[in-house]
Amino acid sequence: MPFHTPLQENMAALLRSARLLRLSPSGLLNIAGTNRTGPPLGRLYSGALGGSRTGACSRLTRPARDSVSISRVWPYTAGSLRGYSLATDEKEDGSVMVRSKQAQQFDWALAKLDSSVRRTGRITKTLLLRIFHDICRTGYPSSNQALLLLRSCGSLLPEVPLEERTVLAHRVWEKLQELGAQFDVSHYNALLKVYLQNEFKFSPTDFLAKMEAANVQPNRVTYQRLIAAYCQNGDIEGASTILGFMKTRDLPITEAVFNSLVTGHARAGDIESAKNILPVMRGAGIEPGPDTYVSLLNAYAEKGDLDSLKKAMDEAESADCSLMDRDIMQVIFTLARAGHQEHIPDMVERLRHERGYVPDAMNLCLSLITQGQEETSFHILKSFSTLEPDNFNSDSSNMGNFFLRHCVNMDTSVEKLTKYCKELQETKRHFAPLTFSLHCALEAKKTGLSLELMKILKEQGFPIRPHYFFPLFIQNSKDNNSAGITEVLKSMQELGVSPDAETLSIYILPAFPSTEAARQALTDAGIPLDTENFLTLEVRALAVSDLAKLYTLLSDPSFPPLDHNHFRSSLILGFRKSDDVESMVKITELFYRDKRFTKEGSKPAEETSYFLYNLFDSRTEGIVQAQEEKLRKYLNQLHAQNIKIPLNIYKGIKNVLESYNVPELIKDVMALVEPKDERGSVSAAPRFTVIEGKVLALENKLAELKAENKPLGTILKQTIQALCAEENLQRALELKQQHEEMMIVGSYATLINLCCRQGNVEEALHLKRELSRKDSSVVLDSSKYIALVKALSKNDRVEEAVDILKEMKEKGVVLNESNLTMLFYVFNSLVAEGGVSTIRRLQDTIFTLGLAKPTTNLCSPLISAYLESKDLSGALEATLDFQKRYNQLPRIHDILVALVEKGDTELLQKAMDFVSQERGEMNMLYDLFFAFLQTGRFREARKIIETPGLRARPGRLQWFAEKCIFVNQMETLEQLVDMTAKLFECDRDEMYSYVLRLCKVTNNWQKAEAMWTKMQEENVIPRETTLRMIADILKNNGQEVPFKMPEAWHEGAETAQQDEPALPPTTAASASEYHTRLLALCKKGKAKEAFWMIKKADQQGLTLTASTYDHLIRALLADGSMEDAMVVRDIATSRLPGFQLSNIAISLSIVTHSKKGQTSDALEKLKSMLQVGHVPSQLAITRLVQALGANGDVAGIEEVESLMKGLGTNLNLSSMIFLSNKALAHIKNDDVDSAIEMLDSAYTSPDSAKPGMSFVFRKVMEDDNDKALDKLSAMAERLANHFACYRPAVDLFLQLLDMNKLEDAKFMLARCNGVAQQKNMLVSYMSRKAQFPGQSGKIKALISLIPDFTEKEVFYPYLMKCHFVDKDLASAKALHEQMQKEGMVIDELSLKRLAVLYRNAEETVPFTEPPESFKFYADKLKDQVTKAADE
Amino acid sequence: MAAPAKKVFEVFVSKIPWTVASKEMREYFGQFGSVKKCLLPFDKDTGFHRGFCWVGFSSEEGLNNALEKDPHILEGSKLQVQRNRRPFVGQKSNRASEVD
Repeated sequence: MPFHTPLQENMAALLRSARLLRLSPSGLLNIAGTNRTGPPLGRLYSGALGGSRTGACSRLTRPARDSVSISRVWPYTAGSLRGYSLATDEKEDGSVMVRSKQAQQFDWALAKLDSSVRRTGRITKTLLLRIFHDICRTGYPSSNQALLLLRSCGSLLPEVPLEERTVLAHRVWEKLQELGAQFDVSHYNALLKVYLQNEFKFSPTDFLAKMEAANVQPNRVTYQRLIAAYCQNGDIEGASTILGFMKTRDLPITEAVFNSLVTGHARAGDIESAKNILPVMRGAGIEPGPDTYVSLLNAYAEKGDLDSLKKAMDEAESADCSLMDRDIMQVIFTLARAGHQEHIPDMVERLRHERGYVPDAMNLCLSLITQGQEETSFHILKSFSTLEPDNFNSDSSNMGNFFLRHCVNMDTSVEKLTKYCKELQETKRHFAPLTFSLHCALEAKKTGLSLELMKILKEQGFPIRPHYFFPLFIQNSKDNNSAGITEVLKSMQELGVSPDAETLSIYILPAFPSTEAARQALTDAGIPLDTENFLTLEVRALAVSDLAKLYTLLSDPSFPPLDHNHFRSSLILGFRKSDDVESMVKITELFYRDKRFTKEGSKPAEETSYFLYNLFDSRTEGIVQAQEEKLRKYLNQLHAQNIKIPLNIYKGIKNVLESYNVPELIKDVMALVEPKDERGSVSAAPRFTVIEGKVLALENKLAELKAENKPLGTILKQTIQALCAEENLQRALELKQQHEEMMIVGSYATLINLCCRQGNVEEALHLKRELSRKDSSVVLDSSKYIALVKALSKNDRVEEAVDILKEMKEKGVVLNESNLTMLFYVFNSLVAEGGVSTIRRLQDTIFTLGLAKPTTNLCSPLISAYLESKDLSGALEATLDFQKRYNQLPRIHDILVALVEKGDTELLQKAMDFVSQERGEMNMLYDLFFAFLQTGRFREARKIIETPGLRARPGRLQWFAEKCIFVNQMETLEQLVDMTAKLFECDRDEMYSYVLRLCKVTNNWQKAEAMWTKMQEENVIPRETTLRMIADILKNNGQEVPFKMPEAWHEGAETAQQDEPALPPTTAASASEYHTRLLALCKKGKAKEAFWMIKKADQQGLTLTASTYDHLIRALLADGSMEDAMVVRDIATSRLPGFQLSNIAISLSIVTHSKKGQTSDALEKLKSMLQVGHVPSQLAITRLVQALGANGDVAGIEEVESLMKGLGTNLNLSSMIFLSNKALAHIKNDDVDSAIEMLDSAYTSPDSAKPGMSFVFRKVMEDDNDKALDKLSAMAERLANHFACYRPAVDLFLQLLDMNKLEDAKFMLARCNGVAQQKNMLVSYMSRKAQFPGQSGKIKALISLIPDFTEKEVFYPYLMKCHFVDKDLASAKALHEQMQKEGMVIDELSLKRLAVLYRNAEETVPFTEPPESFKFYADKLKDQVTKAADE
Repeated sequence: MAAPAKKVFEVFVSKIPWTVASKEMREYFGQFGSVKKCLLPFDKDTGFHRGFCWVGFSSEEGLNNALEKDPHILEGSKLQVQRNRRPFVGQKSNRASEVD
């Protein structure tokens, strides 16, 4: 829409002044006072003040400090990453087997990088490499991941030199290609961008040739970037060639191209032509943007032409292209690199320190240092401090840490470094810059620099400590570089530091072949050694090499006292390495009995037990498991030597062993416990407390009505209902007349409702009066009341409607969600009739009475009514009134739109003032932005959204986008997306997805394709869903999809290909097409068809990607088609030599083998998997163990068990899995006794956890193995009766119950009635059962067998839940009655459940339904239980 | 050895500057009472300590003295000093599987 009215021009001016004002907070404060009475907006509109910096808009900006908290704007370098954001649209419902892990991983990597960029505007090389390796390690990288990695190899790495970045990019490219990632044009474009950012010299023609060879079509963005590449080298001719090419292809020439040409001409030495590009642009209808000016500024900067630079800056300013700090920073960077440092102060002065200045400037500093421009960098650094003092901790000022660290890493000279440190310290910017630099130098293992810094520190009087040298030793130690160590030691000596024992043994000795060699080397180097230290050293050396010798040395009476803690860790290490248990015991005993080896004052025995604890604690789980026998022997011998440990140490070791899954050793440790300490702690069983209740009021009304309910009544009711459904009011009323006496409330309600619907208000009111004559306490259904209100209001009987509302309040009618919606429609129906006053009256009444909360929805009809009658001022007044009273601002957007359209500046000013004040400036700006967008005032809209400091409000953006999609406003939507390109924290992918959604609705594939190109131009990394959307739109229009289709496993087949033929594609089909089709088939569960297709493809000689094969294999396995899966594997291996099954696929094949009983195959798979370091899924292990159990293969289970122990990570496998299945295996082999023996010992062993064994009982019962069952049940009863171990007995009892063997259960109870007292287990069974339908019988059976196992207060609610889950109203009613008969208090949760049952059966709830949600009452109950338990 | 459980008077110290080693820690905390134990783990890969430390006093008095002081400043850094809530023997609950 063109803007030609002066009004609009001024609007823009007004907004510009707002932007500028914001930048000078002091000026803002000065005029704050006068503003209240300052010139109104209207004067600005009239043009009197033009671009003045005073005026109303300053007011708008004033509250910014409090209301808008903007931490920082993304730095310039981050521009390319704005598309990073968490992709949260992955649903969790995909089945584990088919769900692509890639998407998850992408999210994770994205989140990692995103948070780094958000915090700092950069990525560290370490982080990038870690993510790169992780992605590589897990197999097949998706094309999204490839894009992500590539895009991170450019200016997001300011700490990495340019050449190194490009090397990195190439490494990523090649590695990913090797791993089978498919590159499309977006990847090539990303690589180009990285080349440009890294100023990498390459041949554009070669690049194009490479693309052509890969059969990837270049697009507009590709050409644009190639032009930029030529221009970077000042090659105008090359650029022109590409330009010509673009023209012949009819590709639009965008601003970016012109910007490149500015640079190109300048670099070619023709600054005049560069300057002339600007008028050329205007001639072509493209207004030069800030980026154009930045190109020009950089051109002047390279030449060092300060005058032209300044002039161009002013020109930009007057052309309304205000330069941001980050633009000026670019100029500074250029000046520094071109050697024009003298002009830099001029530019630094121009920095306005916008919000987000610091991270941008930090990145500038880093880039400068990387380029060897530390001086300039330091200059910039010094501009920080005075500006954002709150950015730093006040207690320890440490400004410039990043600066110092990067200087160290970039090998800045010590002289410069100390100079910077001095200045930082003197200006109180940094508390200890030298110490910090030393830390960095040590971290980077820069020995020379570290030593020099230490020298300086020492000169300044700082202490130099032995541990400062540790990092330096470590590097040499790792390389076994004894000469290097000696060198460091010498320097240490020079600095007056002598190594202590710790330094010697941990950091120095390992680099020498022997202690003796070390002693010799050090003496030779002239390093004197402390005797005690060296003694410790010797002991440590012996500890790890020869325990027997160590014992001889220590036990010698001439050996001086030496706390064993000085060599404890070496000794522990030695114990681990050695098999000399005898010496271990001797040494331990020595510590235990000889005072020399503990510190004076502490007890040897006690210290020794700590040593024992440490011995276990310092080992890894794997080692303890591997050395179990050795440790047992050791412990037993300690026991034989009568060595005792206190109970708490035992507990500690026990905990360690339990967490290491070596409970078997616990017994041996327990033997060491001092007898008087040996008493088990009595653990109090958790109490289950019944909710104490109050007596609830009886439901008298219900009983009364029920008593009168005679058969005739029911029929009458049904008839009336039927008549009403047919809208036959006449006849229904007649029937009512005839049977006045039999009429029930429900029938009246139905009739009233019908009357209202038909607009027969009189009759409705008549019926209502009649009803209340019969029973004045009757409460109508809330929807009937609302119908009455509606009918009355529509018939201009507002006061009567108000009376109805009052009655509702009196009778306690509660309005639910749908009632509120009805209410909204009632109001809305009044809008068209100019019902301002009616609506207002009703709203006031409802809100005052508290019948409904004043929501935006309920408030908005009044505004609609005003708008309908074109009363804008009334509408504004009303909405402002709502804001004041209820904190709601209904339809403000529509009001603003109307005001903008009308050009009513005064009211607009008022509205903005108010919104700003009430809702904050940010909201006001959004409101205004949307209003301008909506009315097609795009220029003004852009001004608003470009207000510095404004950040994305995803909710608001979505709201507007959805609006555009809904009413099909493509232009507005596109503008929205375009304008928010530089908006802070704007989720670009999300924004583009809105346009794409509209494209999909309108089937506009051209637009969709253009969006894809634009996303590349903007460096947005699309989410998979977005890509899928583009692909769908293109495909629906018969267009080729120019990228690899993301895999859509969990999105439901219908969104993808509706016209999917089950036939294989034609021979010409590419691998990627195959891939798509195959995946579609797989996800539809047609793995078989996919299988035939892949075979056919193979016959045609087609090679597909590894991930395609992998997916199909997984799908086939999920179907249980093992053979077919193996065929596919063979095809894959023959085509891709390095092909390996993925983790999931192997796990699935284990499951499949197991299910088919092919346990040896499954076991083999598992072993091969573990060998290459893959982790099987928990399901795979469970199924395998179960299959082994069913086969009676005890040894097999034991093998799996030990394999799993060796795995190191715990898969959350219950220890019972192995135990139960071993037992079942024994039983299968007809060796019930072994099974019993094993279970018996498991349950009687003192400290093992005692999980349930229901699984064993169930299997045995399912197999009808009575013999085994008898023995097992005897065991369970024995455990219960003799050992008070009830778990197995209860499991058996409940299993019997569960399988409906009630008689058996009864007998068992008689034999073993301890079961009846296991309340917790029984209640927990009941609570489990109550969650699934059809289980009420089980619960009833349980209570019939053990009538008093729990209180009724516990039992009834569970039973009610059962009925609720079963949707069994009849039973629930009966239960309710029984509860009432028994005088029980019914908790609200049960009552709520009952009420819902009534409602679902469309019966009137005969009591007041508890109004809150289920969760509310459940929480309340829990709360009561906890409280009761606490008492 | 009659005590059923060993009493520990330990503080857990974190945010320790890298320049400080266990000798300095002992010296610093020695002002509050006799230090019985001082464990400042070093990372064997980097050669720097991990920034946290356990300091055990021989008496409750030392512990209380140390806890009373605030802030603890050592070489310009503010140390975070807390009573060691998880003394030597950690209680791990195995009861979770009892009732499910």
